Amino acid sequence: MGFFHRHRGLTPYLLLAPGLAWLAVFFLVPLGFLAYQSLQSGSFDVAYAFDWSWGNYWDALQRYHEQLTRSIIYAGLATVFALLISYPLAYWIAFRGGRWKNLLLIMVIAPFFVTYLIRTLAWQTILADQGPVVGIFRDVGILGDGGRLLATSTAVVAGITYNFLPFMALPLYVSLEAIDHRLIEAAEDLYASRLQAFLRVTLPLSLPGVVAGTLLTFIPAAGDFINAELLGTPKQTMIGNVIQSKFLELGDYPSAAALSFTLMAVILVLIAIYARALGTEKLTG
Amino acid sequence: MRFVRRHLLTLYAILAFAYLLVPIGLVILFSFNNPTGRYNYTWRGFTLDHWRNWDGVPGLREAMTLSLEIALLASIVATVLGTLIALALVRYGFRGRGGTNLLIFLPMATPEIVLGASLLTLFLNLKVFLGFSTILIAHIMFCISYVVVTVKARLVGFDRSLEEAAMDLGANEWVTFRKVTLPLIAPAILAGALLSFALSIDDFVITYFNAGSEVTFPLFVWGAARVGAPPQVNVMGTLIFVVALGLMVLNVLLQRTREGRAAT
Amino acid sequence: MNDVLTRQELLRRAALGAGLLSVPGLLAACGGSSGGGGSKKELADTLVFSNWTYYMDKDKKTKKWRTLEAFKKKFGVNVKYTEDINSNSQFFGKIQGPLSRGQSIDRDLIVLTDNERFLATMIDKGWVEKLDKDALPNIQNLVDVQKSPPFDTHRDYSLPWASGMTGIAYNAKLTKPVTSMEQLLEDKTLKGKVSVLDNISDTLGLVMLSNGDDPSRVTDDTFKSAIGRVKTASDSGQLRQITGNDYTGPLANGDLAACVAWSGDIDQLQADNANLKWGIPKAGGMIWTDNVLIPKDGDAYTASVFMNYIYDPEVAAKLYGTIHYISPVKGSREALAKIDPETAKNELFFPTEQTLSQVHLIDPTFLKNQSYNEQWQAVLGA
Repeated sequence: MGFFHRHRGLTPYLLLAPGLAWLAVFFLVPLGFLAYQSLQSGSFDVAYAFDWSWGNYWDALQRYHEQLTRSIIYAGLATVFALLISYPLAYWIAFRGGRWKNLLLIMVIAPFFVTYLIRTLAWQTILADQGPVVGIFRDVGILGDGGRLLATSTAVVAGITYNFLPFMALPLYVSLEAIDHRLIEAAEDLYASRLQAFLRVTLPLSLPGVVAGTLLTFIPAAGDFINAELLGTPKQTMIGNVIQSKFLELGDYPSAAALSFTLMAVILVLIAIYARALGTEKLTG
Repeated sequence: MRFVRRHLLTLYAILAFAYLLVPIGLVILFSFNNPTGRYNYTWRGFTLDHWRNWDGVPGLREAMTLSLEIALLASIVATVLGTLIALALVRYGFRGRGGTNLLIFLPMATPEIVLGASLLTLFLNLKVFLGFSTILIAHIMFCISYVVVTVKARLVGFDRSLEEAAMDLGANEWVTFRKVTLPLIAPAILAGALLSFALSIDDFVITYFNAGSEVTFPLFVWGAARVGAPPQVNVMGTLIFVVALGLMVLNVLLQRTREGRAAT
Repeated sequence: MNDVLTRQELLRRAALGAGLLSVPGLLAACGGSSGGGGSKKELADTLVFSNWTYYMDKDKKTKKWRTLEAFKKKFGVNVKYTEDINSNSQFFGKIQGPLSRGQSIDRDLIVLTDNERFLATMIDKGWVEKLDKDALPNIQNLVDVQKSPPFDTHRDYSLPWASGMTGIAYNAKLTKPVTSMEQLLEDKTLKGKVSVLDNISDTLGLVMLSNGDDPSRVTDDTFKSAIGRVKTASDSGQLRQITGNDYTGPLANGDLAACVAWSGDIDQLQADNANLKWGIPKAGGMIWTDNVLIPKDGDAYTASVFMNYIYDPEVAAKLYGTIHYISPVKGSREALAKIDPETAKNELFFPTEQTLSQVHLIDPTFLKNQSYNEQWQAVLGA
């Protein structure tokens, strides 16, 4: 163990090395190629040529700002809903789960065992016009007589929320589980009500989990395409759909690459703002 | 009313689980369906045929096995690598902290299709054979970030005084880590591993590009589901779910016995 | 000289039921070059075949692919059959990586559709091997209408696997018969209960026919009026969605009253919902064909022997009689009529000349037009 004492300064780098090396080789290198591709022009018929095509980026912002904005909004809404739905659930598992905690966690990720597509198709059945859910909504008056749930923005956001729920729930659980119950007892001993104890003790202590869950939900959700494709109409397409289209249907790899970087840049800017608003210690520790 | 108020949270949790598991319930239900055509949309009648015949669709079992192997390996490796990074980020000061954080967020922000295609380009340029190893490499790559963020959430609020107390009592760094730190962050590590497992077993796009001729469960299903998936697909999904639950139940029961024995 | 000898050897051994032809001497004698382009005259141990789902007949009892097992029995070649193609664009997106670098994709046979650009692109870019016509005498059984398609005028690289028709499906319980694109796109009583396909040929082809234009000869004007109609219908909410092959669920459960649909899906859907009907629109329908290709470095000889086996009317009868898609092999309907007269009469799987005269092929240059494709993608929201 003397090694680590003598080489204390090295320790962080040794810890980082394996993971970062993996990412450097298998993510950064491909990303570099993608960057190179984003400055090319070409398609299936025209050969791809590198020609500093910054126009791809300008194009991306100009032609697809609608889908870009929509993606951010949908992802944002889905994140908020996921937070609202997952927080009480994660709280319950952490505080009341007892020895069954791990089992309950498995049940949270259980939907992932049946593949994205099948889950989404199952929702297509559950939310069908002739189905029970739409029936109830129509009776209660939430939906008009000919109203529907599928093929709407509601369906798309609901689909995204559902598919990313575990990414919000698990980090929340991680934070909540770590809270020392004696702190809450102490607060109550000091005449705090249950609600006050929650707001003043539990909630702040669970903030790292909220931040983590928000990031793990919002970031990948912004690039999602499958929910819009199956549950939406052309009016609900997200930037992910545009990228799919450019890549697969049109063979326009440069545009797909430029769009991807544009999306990434937007996400990073939003994260930076988010970090600022919260105070960076919560994010980077 | 008192009852409801006291158990409000539990009732909510039940509802939340119902919400999560309703599609799964549908999948499980339709694994018992007896469709006449190739589509499994309408309930035709109860049958155990597809359960008895769970292996009746060529390639499905192999696809599921492959997916499980890769998910297991990928989540273990990604969890180890990710936890190390999280420890470094939270506990040590070092140059390049900002860059590291960026590197962690970027994979999550990159749309899968371009990520998968560019990784494929790398493999092609290196003339690597596309198959099990390339799928595994890809999965580990995109799981690391999720582990880092999850474990960090736990480390950020960590009370160092426990570790300091242990060291005051004579434990060296490694023992402290093993006996104090690790058990306390274990739930976070487990959560990270679970997320990785889920991501890996569910991945389609990146796997599609880098699998060569191998077929994982999502690849198998994605093709079939849109044109009518056989009920055996539902059976497989159900089986995995049930087995995973069963293992956890076993785990709990074993813990009970261990505690019971320790008490005597 | 050597080639003829080898083929006779092959036939002799096949007749004796011997199986694998793997004598090294034969390989040396034929002097075929190794690697891409050259034709090996020796049957490989394994044939790697990637195809779409539901294109091969499964034996319910043995759980194996009947036609492939029969082929194995006759020629000793094990066919590694994977149903990993479910979208032309997606599959092409995956294989263009290795192919554009001159690398093999480890497959001997793949299947792409002629109503999307990718089939022609594969041939144009030279990413395919030539069929070994010497091993394909049964190519003469190819139906006349498929003998010289625009993307492969001499049938050097491709052979049809199966065809299907695009028409309109409707739910008789929810609507009166829908037999025209007018009804689909402009009948307000169907608003929000109809859909079209995201495939540019299937949908725009039908609309062009409805406009009185010829989809096999597309001009800027005919394109403009066709796409305009679809865009209007989409914007106004007339169209519920523009879907891929996932229209089947909503159609079966009644969310869709009518939609553009493929002939091959409908008889299966009727098992789930007996009210579903399908027909070719009065103005005409579209026909598409899935073609096999031998990708670069695939084993052209073994693949050709396999396709030759398929193009035997007796073999074809059994295969297409089971999978229920249109057979490209002359005489397969007659051969099927002897063992399964019911299926042989079914217009969907074995359409008559009269039916075939109502369906049209898409203009191949239309498919390659990047601008048209971009405009269509824009209608899809991308």
